[in-house]
Amino acid sequence: MKKLSVFKISLAIMFVACLFVMIPSSYAEKPLKIGIVDCYSGPPSTYTNDVRDAFKMEVAQLNASGGILGRQIEVLTRDSKFKVDIGLAAAKELVYRENVDILMGTINSALAMAISDMCKKEKVPFFVTFSKSDKITGAKGHRYVFSITENTALAGKAAAVGLAKKPYLKYWIAGDDYEYGHAIADGVWTNLQKMKPDVELLGQSWWKVGEPDFTPYITAILSAKPDAVIVATGGAGCIPFLKAAKATGFNERVPFFMHTATELSTLKPLGLNAPEGVIGTSNYFFYYPETAANKLFVKNFEAVYNRKPAVGALYGFLAARYIFGAYQKAGVIDTEKLIDNVEGMWVDSPVGKVTMRAYDHQAMLPMFMGVTQKAAGYDFLIAKDIVTIPGDEVMPTIEEIKAARK
Amino acid sequence: MEFAANVTLAALIQQVLVGLSRTTILFIVASGLSLVLGVLRIPNVAHGSLYMIGAFLTYTIATLFGQSASGFWLALLVAPLGVALISFIVERGLFCRLYEREHMMLLLFTFSFSLVFGDVVKLVWGSDYRSLVAPVFLQGSFSIGSLPFPRYNLFLLIIGPLVAGGLWFLTNRTKIGKIARAAAVDREMVGAIGINVSWVFAAVFVIGCYLAGLGGALVAPTQNITQGMDHTIIIEAFLIVIIGGLGNIWGALLGALIFGLTDSVGILVWPQFAIVFPYAAVITVLLFRPKGLLKSTW
Repeated sequence: MKKLSVFKISLAIMFVACLFVMIPSSYAEKPLKIGIVDCYSGPPSTYTNDVRDAFKMEVAQLNASGGILGRQIEVLTRDSKFKVDIGLAAAKELVYRENVDILMGTINSALAMAISDMCKKEKVPFFVTFSKSDKITGAKGHRYVFSITENTALAGKAAAVGLAKKPYLKYWIAGDDYEYGHAIADGVWTNLQKMKPDVELLGQSWWKVGEPDFTPYITAILSAKPDAVIVATGGAGCIPFLKAAKATGFNERVPFFMHTATELSTLKPLGLNAPEGVIGTSNYFFYYPETAANKLFVKNFEAVYNRKPAVGALYGFLAARYIFGAYQKAGVIDTEKLIDNVEGMWVDSPVGKVTMRAYDHQAMLPMFMGVTQKAAGYDFLIAKDIVTIPGDEVMPTIEEIKAARK
Repeated sequence: MEFAANVTLAALIQQVLVGLSRTTILFIVASGLSLVLGVLRIPNVAHGSLYMIGAFLTYTIATLFGQSASGFWLALLVAPLGVALISFIVERGLFCRLYEREHMMLLLFTFSFSLVFGDVVKLVWGSDYRSLVAPVFLQGSFSIGSLPFPRYNLFLLIIGPLVAGGLWFLTNRTKIGKIARAAAVDREMVGAIGINVSWVFAAVFVIGCYLAGLGGALVAPTQNITQGMDHTIIIEAFLIVIIGGLGNIWGALLGALIFGLTDSVGILVWPQFAIVFPYAAVITVLLFRPKGLLKSTW
């Protein structure tokens, strides 16, 4: 009899304990979890910090007014150190262990493709925030991946539009030897050849990602005497190359184009030591266009973070507006409904209305092309002679996307 | 298509000179590694991290003085000494207890230090990379023919032989150098004739790490000072030491020359595949002389 009663009592205690555990968890609303995998170490962090900071700014605002559909939003970040294996492991941890509802990231195109592949299998929406490979929404695009940044096809077309107007005929291509480097070089060159058939490619130089010393490459390129150079560097290589260009006087001997050369993230760390006369394309400037929306955005960002927003901030802002706007429209936290609502959605942004094209999940961002120059009142260089190229003029046609995805 | 397309004499001379200035940095770092390897028989994987710490320290000291010319020279003087101090503490505190153990242990120990140093750098300096500017009179470039040659590379070309000469003097003409060479060949005998081998090892280790710090300090104005620096340099340094002959400083010079020159000339001759050239050279050397080009001390 004693045994039975001890058994019964312990059973009763366990039952009550379980109730205590189960009931609170069903009352407390789980937060909506959003994971960001990106490179926060080394040179690329100058681009990626703004994405995370602007996104967190929007999240903080939403959380303060009750969250999204009654649920608070939690942002989890992981550092990929610009390595695919580390980043993919982090993404897996966020999806399998933390059960994030949405993944965002990253600046490394190779990593973005790997995460996109995983998200397709796991049916987790992935918003690409900085990687510019056109394969992300092109050949390898699918239902669960969105891009809120321009890609090499768009940037290439915009750059070609600008370069075709210049008198240069003999080109040299040089860049970081990885997915993005080759993609942006191909994007610019294919479109340039279409617009100006008599351009000639004298040669190409490709260095490993993270190459520290460009001097031998620069001297080799100069000995070939091209009219202009297309520099295809990515997050890790842009700033070191510009520094080497200034140190060797490369920018004074031959004009060169580098995508993102005119961006704040690229020019601010170099200060007044940045090279002048570099042709660059970008998605965002805090000083142009001087619209009310842009000024307000800059003011809010500066108030929280004490620095001017760079293009990453625009991407972080867009991500927040698309994700939470779509949830709001859907009325429920559901992955498939989120995707249905983001497709074709437009948001107001500091660069105007940006629409997410439904077919390939690519945001139609405008491109700005300019030339770096010193300016009074700033201790870094800014872009001058800015030309705006609207988003829909540089998007690849839906037929081209269909053909790529076959 | 682009093979040897732009090889003019001027361009070749240009590339050779640039390659030689790269050789300087590679030689300084590899010679330190070779010294430690030859005398202490420790493959110091943390050598690259000390190089990185040297670069970061140079940045900090130079920036303290507003990145002026005097700040740079002071940093060049002090940063390698700082690295030498760190290595002294590590050696006396931890390494000296492990000399009796097998090599694998020492290798793993230095490897763990490279990881620790890597994160220490991230803790102290943050994950942002740093940018240092050379003093004004070393900035810019002058023309050889019609091609630019950066002034700082010329500075490196002068420093290289100076360091090589200094090392030669140290190992051949000073007492500590002769003792170190003896200890490399037969440490038991050196101990048997009454010399404190432990202090010899400490001295050699500190000098080797000073060289790593010096390499880092010299390279600081030419490239971004970032977290990945240690990984790139340690692979190159080990390859140079291996093809030169383990423990042989002149081998390190030869290896650095081969590495630096094949790299820069390869960039001129076949730019698309330039990355491959130095490693192809290493493979070629090892195929014909697996023990290295010059005699090793092992």
